[in-house]
Amino acid sequence: MRLHPLTSLAAAGSTAVITTAAAYLPLSLAVIAAAAGLAAWAGTFRRLLPAAAAILVPLCLSLLVLHGLFFPEGITVLGEWGPARVTSEGLSFAVQRAAQLSAAVLALLVFSFSVSVPDLVAALSAKGVHGRFAFVLASTLTLLPAITSRLERIRQAQEARGLVIRRGILARAAAFRLQAVPLVSVLVEDAATRAAALDARGFGSTGPRTSYREVPDRPWEQMLRIVLLLAAAAAVAARLLQAGT
Amino acid sequence: MESNTVLGAGIRSFAFHEDDAPVLRDVHLSFEPGTLTAILGPSGSGKTTLGRLLAGWLPPGPGGRLQGCLSLSGTTLQFQGAADDPRINPAQWGRRVGFVPQDASAILSTVRAIVAEELAFGLENAGTDRPAMKAAVERTAVLLGLRGLLDRHPDTLSGGQLRRLAIGCAVIAEPDVLIMDEPFASLDAAGTDELTHLLGPLLRRGTAVVILSQAVEETLLAAERWMVLDGGTLTASGTPAELCASPGLLPAGIRRARINRLGTHRDFRAKLKPKPSHPAQASAPVLELRDVAFGYTDKAAKGRKARAATGGSAGDGPQQVLRGVDLELMPGEIVAVTGPNGAGKSTFLRHLNGLLRPTSGTVLVHGEDISRRPVGEVAAAVGLLFQHPRHQLFERTAAREVRFGLDRRFGGSEAAARTGAALADVGLSAHEDAHPAELPASRQRLLALATVLARRPAVLALDEPTVALDGDGLSLLDAAVRNAAAAGAAVVLVTHDVPYARSVADRLLTLDGGRLAPL
Repeated sequence: MRLHPLTSLAAAGSTAVITTAAAYLPLSLAVIAAAAGLAAWAGTFRRLLPAAAAILVPLCLSLLVLHGLFFPEGITVLGEWGPARVTSEGLSFAVQRAAQLSAAVLALLVFSFSVSVPDLVAALSAKGVHGRFAFVLASTLTLLPAITSRLERIRQAQEARGLVIRRGILARAAAFRLQAVPLVSVLVEDAATRAAALDARGFGSTGPRTSYREVPDRPWEQMLRIVLLLAAAAAVAARLLQAGT
Repeated sequence: MESNTVLGAGIRSFAFHEDDAPVLRDVHLSFEPGTLTAILGPSGSGKTTLGRLLAGWLPPGPGGRLQGCLSLSGTTLQFQGAADDPRINPAQWGRRVGFVPQDASAILSTVRAIVAEELAFGLENAGTDRPAMKAAVERTAVLLGLRGLLDRHPDTLSGGQLRRLAIGCAVIAEPDVLIMDEPFASLDAAGTDELTHLLGPLLRRGTAVVILSQAVEETLLAAERWMVLDGGTLTASGTPAELCASPGLLPAGIRRARINRLGTHRDFRAKLKPKPSHPAQASAPVLELRDVAFGYTDKAAKGRKARAATGGSAGDGPQQVLRGVDLELMPGEIVAVTGPNGAGKSTFLRHLNGLLRPTSGTVLVHGEDISRRPVGEVAAAVGLLFQHPRHQLFERTAAREVRFGLDRRFGGSEAAARTGAALADVGLSAHEDAHPAELPASRQRLLALATVLARRPAVLALDEPTVALDGDGLSLLDAAVRNAAAAGAAVVLVTHDVPYARSVADRLLTLDGGRLAPL
């Protein structure tokens, strides 16, 4: 059964908020495991992995460097280089923060890789979100493939006129220099044409909109979303109270 | 204007903001319900501007300065080209006047996942309720033969299917007027027939259909009225019979129908033959294909080309587009390859310079296997004219476009000379500073041709070279092809325009089911 996209969004969002607020290592690890399991079940694991690595590796490394080496409250010193001290408290704090962050990022990534964008756009406009916002959301996801295909065409046109592109990343980067200006100008030109078409098809009108795509929203899902949001709010409130005492 | 006029215009002048000279002047026209009108004009005559202006895609004010009036269903708006002119609401105008641009894909929203949703996009924006929307999508799909495609992604449609979808998007709200810009360009005979059959139900429903064209297609002979646009102004108007009877009224730039050329191709051949001592027998082939086979891989098979090649059936694994293709091409020889839309003609042509590599078999240029040579090197010997000029042009001016890469290969003075000569060959000497994207479609095509001619390649590979060319452009192309062949270049052209192929080629081949055979 497919969840309503807003339910998945609420689930991912509240998971991220709750794990961040709880700052409890076993919970963070459980969420990471659950997220990996969900992605594997949905068949998005292999696509998700590079994206997760690109976001998390630098962040986790910087956490380790920052807290592992410079943690003023640290007592158990494992090693010392000038001002930098590796303490076991510092390391465990860094691991906790990294797990917390990974859990939140993974929960949101699992959502963004599994959600059907057309469903999400339709659901948002059904909830009264302005059509332009929904369009921007959908375009951001269709933009990259569009740019890639444009770039490919320009490269082919240039190769067909004698541009020799050798293998290797440096040669490709050098060739990209020749393709960048044409790429931007063709994208601008496309946008101008598209704007006239969108206007004529009523995209700019301010009246109420409807959606052709049906995204069923079951009553229990609406309840579930409320519960999830309340749980997230409660977790944040508990955290604030704890910090206040 | 008469009382039953649904759309009318009295354009004293229309100019773009950045230009002083008007693009249109003294254009007075009106359209009645259920009539077919053809607005004929050569490339650059202002057809597209007129079409966009009438359809609200180029609203007076933001789009340019209009002096005159536009009237829609009895309401007339007067424009003085001043700031307090009335403003057209493109959305409301668009519900009454549908427009299909020359590049059909330009009408798509690009954010809808399936054909049915793309059709419904305009209705969604108008707030139509879902049952009415479903009914309208169903009705439009039946009208345009899109029923089997409703769940497909718009990106996976072939050219002809895409044009039908674009028309569907324009007519789903049942506008009073449908304006189509060059709808026949790039369609083969079957596609043209399909489009012609669509017109009947639309006209019976009372839609006024307006077709902007630079060619007198057979379909247009059935129009109630032809109007001739030349140099931005209406120069003649009358029934097809009246205008055909006095050919002086149709400017030379308007292409006479394919039918017409069928009749004259023998004269063409008579003029062509005999060629100056055919070098074919004496020398070695300049290009050879040996047992070339090609299929898109799984991933690519999901793409548009592969689906088009199967005539629409998708999802049945890797698609074999070419099978056992053999070809020998002698210097000075002109070979034409024909076949229906989606037969794999462009795929075949892209093998000649290595943009696509065969899955088995070899391609030899000057007797050398090109499989390990980069495209850029092969390009010195094989010049490829792409199917869509916009895919070939990327520079800021026409002259820069032609000169791209020439300096490195020939040095500055030679590059300048070649650029000048190639632009002159295609009649664009006066436009060397023009932005390629702002040239009319026919001149874009010729500019793309100039980029190929300037390199004087041993093999000219031309993909649908006649598409989008007006009459003058066609003669320039014809001269360029013959001159190149006379100078010893081998020419392969793929086209769905069989009459033109017959008129120009020494050998005629057909590509069907992935195999190349004599026609």
